[in-house]
Parts: sequence; structure tokens; C-alpha cells
Amino acid sequence: MTAQPSQLSPVKLGFAVAWPAFWTGVPIKIVLGLLLLAMGQHPWEFPGLAFLLLLSIPVDIWAVGLTGRTVFLERLGLQPQASLGLTLWWQGAALYATYGSLACFLGRQTIASSQAVAAKIMDMELLKAVPVAERISIELTLWGSVSAVVLLALMLGGLFLFGKLVQRQADAASPASAPYEARVHQWDLMRVPADQPLMLTVFTATGVALVLLLWAFMPVTTPHPHESYKQDEKKAAPALKPTEALQKAERVLTQAEASVQALEAKAKKSKGKAAAPDKKAAAKPKKA
Amino acid sequence: MQPKLKSKVRCTDREVGEVTRVIVDPLSLKISHIVVGGNGVGGAERQVPMSEVQSVTDDLVQLRTASGALAQFPPLKRDEYVTTHEVEIAHLEERLHVQPGEVLVPLPALERNVPRRTFFTNLTHAIGALVALPFAFPVLKYLMKPMYAPFDNRWLKVGNVNRIKAEDVGVQFKYKKIVKEAFMPEAEVDKNVWILKASPAVLEEVYKGKDMEFRDQAGRLVWTNKKDIPYVVFSGKCPHLGCGYKWRKVPKLGKEIFLCPCHLSIYEPSGKVLDGPAPRPLDPLPIRVDAAGNIQIIDIEFKAGTKAQTRIV
Amino acid sequence: MSAQPNLLEKVIAFVDERVGLKTLQAKMLHEPVPGGSRWAYVFGSCLLFIFIMQVVTGILLMFYYVPSADHAYASTQYIIHEVDYGWFILSYHFWGSSAMVVMVFAHMSQVFLWGAYKSPREMIWLVGLALFGIVMAFGFTGYLLPWDQRAYWATTVGVEIMDKAPIVGDFLARFLKGGPTPGQMTLSRFFVIHVMILPAALMGLAGLHLFLFRKAGPAGPFRGTPDELKAKTDYFFPRQVWKDMVAMGAVFATICSLAFIEPVVLLEEATPDPGEYHPEPEWYFLFLFQLLRLKIFSGEFGQFLGGVAIPGAFMVLLAALPFIDRSPERNIFKRPVALVGWILIMTSILIFTVSAIINREFLD
Repeated sequence: MTAQPSQLSPVKLGFAVAWPAFWTGVPIKIVLGLLLLAMGQHPWEFPGLAFLLLLSIPVDIWAVGLTGRTVFLERLGLQPQASLGLTLWWQGAALYATYGSLACFLGRQTIASSQAVAAKIMDMELLKAVPVAERISIELTLWGSVSAVVLLALMLGGLFLFGKLVQRQADAASPASAPYEARVHQWDLMRVPADQPLMLTVFTATGVALVLLLWAFMPVTTPHPHESYKQDEKKAAPALKPTEALQKAERVLTQAEASVQALEAKAKKSKGKAAAPDKKAAAKPKKA
Repeated sequence: MQPKLKSKVRCTDREVGEVTRVIVDPLSLKISHIVVGGNGVGGAERQVPMSEVQSVTDDLVQLRTASGALAQFPPLKRDEYVTTHEVEIAHLEERLHVQPGEVLVPLPALERNVPRRTFFTNLTHAIGALVALPFAFPVLKYLMKPMYAPFDNRWLKVGNVNRIKAEDVGVQFKYKKIVKEAFMPEAEVDKNVWILKASPAVLEEVYKGKDMEFRDQAGRLVWTNKKDIPYVVFSGKCPHLGCGYKWRKVPKLGKEIFLCPCHLSIYEPSGKVLDGPAPRPLDPLPIRVDAAGNIQIIDIEFKAGTKAQTRIV
Repeated sequence: MSAQPNLLEKVIAFVDERVGLKTLQAKMLHEPVPGGSRWAYVFGSCLLFIFIMQVVTGILLMFYYVPSADHAYASTQYIIHEVDYGWFILSYHFWGSSAMVVMVFAHMSQVFLWGAYKSPREMIWLVGLALFGIVMAFGFTGYLLPWDQRAYWATTVGVEIMDKAPIVGDFLARFLKGGPTPGQMTLSRFFVIHVMILPAALMGLAGLHLFLFRKAGPAGPFRGTPDELKAKTDYFFPRQVWKDMVAMGAVFATICSLAFIEPVVLLEEATPDPGEYHPEPEWYFLFLFQLLRLKIFSGEFGQFLGGVAIPGAFMVLLAALPFIDRSPERNIFKRPVALVGWILIMTSILIFTVSAIINREFLD
């Protein structure tokens, strides 16, 4: 499709750049998210989210640049500027911050109000007799369809605006003179790095390093144990410290002997031989 | 029109050679060019489009042009093409009725760039390896889980010394051990040990003047058998291959010994090997006797068949 | 070629002389993809990848899992709590099965929207539908194995629905249950089906699917002039393989992430008394489950209609599709019936699935 810039509507243009850019970045962000999860962080909560957003910046700049240049060369027949990626990224980020927050707000409002309206409708006398399962589905369809239409419109609006940004870049770009095949060749070669072995080594090394990190952080036992599962204490039976035990036994024995002798002495003094055998019998279990 | 390979090629004025190869368009499955070669052309093979072919008969291809004009056709750039053996084109054989020879298919324009191909090839391999890699270590540990189970150092009651009536006589003590394997419910197994009340001479042979130490996996001391306590307990498993052995009176030797029925290892009352394939003497176990004469042991098992004594349970 | 071939090259040359390795490899990998490799084509390869991962994790689980009613729950809990990384292997297997269902829907949708079921690809489509059935059967049989309340009751309800089919229903249900009620016999049968019968069937049919696909050739995009298609033709290897690899990597990372976010946690052990627990099938059957709650499907015939007849009729419609729709037009935007039909089906499934989730609150 060798369309001229004027032939591609802003929405189509915005979609042509944004959709592949998004999916180009996704595999890298998933890997980052996975690493965060292994470390026990949730990538959708701070501080994990901050880490993810920060690392997303260079990834997004690269992705938008790559897809932008491809669209320019292949679909529009234009020669892309060197800084296309960066320009489109910061402009897109500004758009996301402004229009994006507005759209989020509007979207949330729409969902909330359509849910309320749907609930009101279902409360009507006419529909009281409708059984539960049908009620749920009807209510869902009512507010779901309204919300879906509004969200779709908001998204198209966003793409329209982004498409306008791309159009501005396209208007400033010079046409590419080469025929179709040569242009396809050019954007294709864009994906091949100048120094292949270096890039491949770096890529593989980074991958291996990330895997090693994953292994280091991954929990060995389940992070969500079942509440009623009793974990057996897997320690070996407590090791006796024989030397300590012997010393303790010796101390006890010497103490016992001393007390026995003292008692015997007392007994001899006071009561005579009759008491001694009893004391000896009492002393024997202590010695065992 | 389906020109046959090897059929003669004729221009308007004379014969120029033969059809050496045929080029097929991979999408439409139609022949797009013939390659004319042979002595009539003198030099490179020429790629002639099918539009120049006037007619095709069984062994002759008639061209529209004169032989002098043949040079206008481009020479064949062989490395821009691959044979149909090297490429998978669906339904090609059904559409093509050319005798087998060299049927060429153009290498796609995007594939002609070697650095590009090797880059994607290598990156594909790298990603494939990186996808498989994260599983390697966890899977290994997963499978190894029960292999090095921690030692069980519980004291088990086996009986009372009053069963031992004489010195240097082996007495078998049978006892039950409660085992719990992984997730299985607790089970009871029957085990046995041989205990004897050793005379000083036999005791000396067993201990060789040193107290016997028993350690756990980390090397920590679990128990020490003091060399002056006369009761010695031997593991019920023969150190050769783990069979249960017996106490027998052997008429030939005139005395009583431990005899293993599996491979006929014979041991003295002190556990020393007299005869047979046993690699080491009988294995003594930790023992303690309380004041009432109740014997307790730790059930240790050692690896069978080795000279060195390696604890496994 | 280097001056002196090293050992590896010599071994490869030895085998190649006798087997035709290089030709075979070339034929397998150098498949021209008209219109160029596309990301839309990755779903089939992703399915193959997910299946292989399920086999690997499944085999690992079998090292410790015991398929008997008295040990199934304990052994599964052992895997989760005691074995090193057992929780991860099991959670990967669990989320992998969900990923497989999602991928099957994506792949079928892609084939449908691209019109790649039309002549001469009817047989590929039919074999594909059989594969779809096998994937659903995998999910259904595997779900029972942990033998906790959720597993036991989801299976009970599912088999009861099958019971409602006329004539064969009772026989089929008893065959699956191995008796009048679910118990040890059910577990044994489901285990054999899940671990032996279905994998063999899947491997055989997937091989047939791939063979038929290579024979017919890729359908390619439904738009584009022949020149553009020719200009953008590339080979299966490396371009499409590269795309497949990236997609597989992303799928792998996603399943791992899900395993970390929501590892498998069992409920209590299965008992014949459901107690406080509300039976529910796995998420990809929820829409059917919710459908059966509608008043029009109440009663024995109604349950049969909603649970067996309508889904069955829909599958028959899908099977007949290449024979009903004989127009060679493959552009989805020029096939309004197909497009609207697809949107309606997908939306209905979505609505009923979400309804089932909302319905949970009403039960408490």
C-alpha cells in the first residue's frame, strides 16, 4: 500500500505507528515485569511500577522510532528523519499525559454512570419478574455496550491526535526516491545491526544475566502456602551435644554425690545406719 | 507452454543451443524464463523470457528472435536462484510438466541479503536458548528433592539387656520403626539389629582404642559410643549388599560367628571380616543403655558394597 | 566451507549422505511465505510451543503426583509446599493450560477471519476442529487430578451435563465416571485419558494438521497486489521462525509471570458433601455454565439443549463451514456475514463469562 500521506487518515496513520510500537515494546516489558515478580514485587504497584516505567522510556523511544521509520519507508514512501523516534515519543508522552488523563477520567465516569443507569433500569417494575441469570446478562450488556462504545471513541480520538503528530513529521520529511522493493529492503536492513557478533553477544549475555537473576530471586517454596498445610520441621532431629550432655551429667553427679555425702554425714551423726540405705537408694536413680 | 529440458532451441535463423534450465515463478507456478545454453551461444547461459518463445514442440523450442539478438538477453545469475529441491513450493509438481532437471525458482529479494539472514538466524537461536534456559536450574532441583533426605537421628527402643545371657554372643533384637515418606501416611516397618555384650578383647577389636563418633550431614557430632561400654550393636544389614545376616555355630571353625546367607560373608563376633566378599566389617550403631537396662539405638544405614563407611539414612 | 571440515561437519555430512538431511532441512525451513512473514501467523507455532511445555511440566509433575483418591491431594500439596520449585512447575502447568485455550481461540479466529478454511484447505480446518476438541478435553480431564473440592465438583457438574444427552448420555457419563458416582474410578480414567490417550491423539492429529498445511501451502494475506506479495515473500526460516520465537518468548514470559502472580492454591480435599463451596468449572467453560442458568434452559431437556445440543450444533456448523461457504473471497471486510458472526459469537462468550463471574456474588 504505497499511499501518500494525505490518503492515510490520521486515525489509520496513528494506528499504523502506535499498534506495532506497543507490541514491539511488550516482550521486553514482560521480561522486566517477570523479573520484578520473581523478586516479590508487583509490577502494577509502586515501587515496582516506577522501576518498570523508568525502564520503559528507552524501550518506547526505540520501538516508536523503529515502527515510525518502517511506516514512513514502506507505506508512505518517505525518508524518515534521524530523530523521528525521540520526537514522536515525547510528543506522544505529552499527549498521553494530557489527553490520556482526560480520557481516563471520562472513561471511568462513563462506566460508573452507565452502571448506575443500568441498575436503575433493572429496578423497574416491568423487569422485576426477570430471573437472576438473565438480569445479570442484560444489565452487563446495557452498561457494557455503552461503555465499550465510549471507550472506543476515546481511543480513536487518541489515535487521531497521535496520527496528527505523525502527519506533522511526515509533512516535514522528504520523499524517498527508491522503488518499493528497495524501500522494503531499507527498512528491513534497519533491523540488522552494523556489528552483528557484538550485538548478539551482548543480547545473549544480558539474557543469561537476567536468567541468573531470576534463579537467585525465585522463591523455592510457594509464596502462597495453603493455610491448613502443616510444614513439617525439616531440620534433622536436634543433634545432641554429647560433650555438653556429659559435662552436665558429670556436674549433676558430683553435686548429687556431694549432697549424698553431706546427708550421709548428717544421718550418721543424727540417726545412725538406718537412714543411710534409704539415702543410697534415692541417690541411685540420679546416677543413671 | 511447457518446454522440456534438453530440448533444442532454435531462433528464427538457426539453432542456438538447448534448454539447460527452466525458471518458475513461485507465486503463479508458471514458467517465466528458459535458460538457453550450449555451444551455439558461446559463453554465458542466457535467460530468455517465455514471451519470446513462439512455439514448443516435443523436442524443439522456437524463439521469435534472431540468433544475433540473443545477446540482448541477460546472462543467468545463478546465485539469485535456488532449485526446487531446496525450497518447498506447494503444488509445484502438479503444475509443472517439465522433465526433472534443473528447475529454478528465484530466491526472494529479501532473502538475498546474507547478513540479514545470518542475523535473524543467530538471534532466533539465541532467543530459543534463552526461553529454554530458565527452566534448567529449577527443574534440576525439583527432581533432586528427595535424593538427599536429611538423616533421621531419633533414638529407638529395641529391647532390654536382660535378653543377653552370655558374653560375645550375638542376640537379634527385632523392632518396629515408624517411617513417613513424603506425603504418604505414617507406616511401620520391621527392622532388626544384632547386639552383643562384648568381652574386653572383643571390645578392643571393635573400637580399636578410640571412641566411635557418629555425625550428621553437616558434620556435626550426633553421638559418641564410649569405648568402655560393653554393649555393641551392629546394623542388621550386611555391608556387602544389604542382606540380613545370622548368628551361627560353624562346626569347622568350632565357634559361633555372623554368617550372611546371600553371599556367605562371615564375621567374627567383633564384626571383623573372616571370609567372603564383604568390603568392610559390620557397622556398629549408636547405642545407649539406661539404668533399667533398656537399650536405645539410632537406626543408621550405610552404603553397601564400599570399603568406606558412608551414611545414607 | 572451511579447508578441513571439523568433527561436527564430518558427522553431519555422514548422516546427510544417507538420509538427505540437508535437503530435508531445506524443504522444512525454506518454505516461501507469500506476502512475507506475519505476526498474525504465529498462533499456530505458539500452540505447539505451549503444548510442548505442558508435556514437559506434566511429565515433571508425574514424578511426584499419585493418581489415587487417597494420595492425589496429599501428593499435589507435597509438590506445592515441599518440592523445590514444585509450586512453580505446577503453576506453570496450570496457567499454561489457560494460555493454550486462549491461543486456540486466537488461532481459530485468525484462520476464520483470513478465510484460510476455504478450498483447498477444508481438511486442515476439520483436523483443527478435532484438535480444538482435544484441547478442551485436556482442560476438563486435567482439572480433576488435584482432587480438591474445586476439582471434584467441577467434574461432577460437567459430567452431569453430559448425562443429559439423549440415548447415549447415561452410558457416556457412567463411562467417564467409571461408575454411578464420581470416585477412584473416575480419577483413574481421567488420569489415563489426560496423560496417555489425549497426548497421543494430539500429537498424531497435530502432525497431520502440519502435513496438510505444508501440502496446501500458506494461504497468505487477503490483500495486496501480486507484485507486492512477490516483493515481500520471504522464507519460513528465518523470518517467520524469528517472529514465532519472539511470540513464544513473550508467551513463556507471560505464563511465568502468571505463575508468580497467582500460584496454584488448592481448596480443601474433595468430599462428597460440597459444604460452603459453590461448584464452578474452569474459566473457559464459564460461559456455558452461565448459559445453563438461564430459565429457557431449565429442566432436563433444557439442560441438554443448552449444554449439549447448542454447543454441538455450533461445532457441526463450524465443521460444515468450508462446504457451506464456497465463495473464494477471503477479505474479511468483504464478508459481512462472517465478520458480524464472529463479533457476535466472541461478544456473547465474553458477556456470559463476565456474567458468570458477577453471578458469584449473588450466590454468597
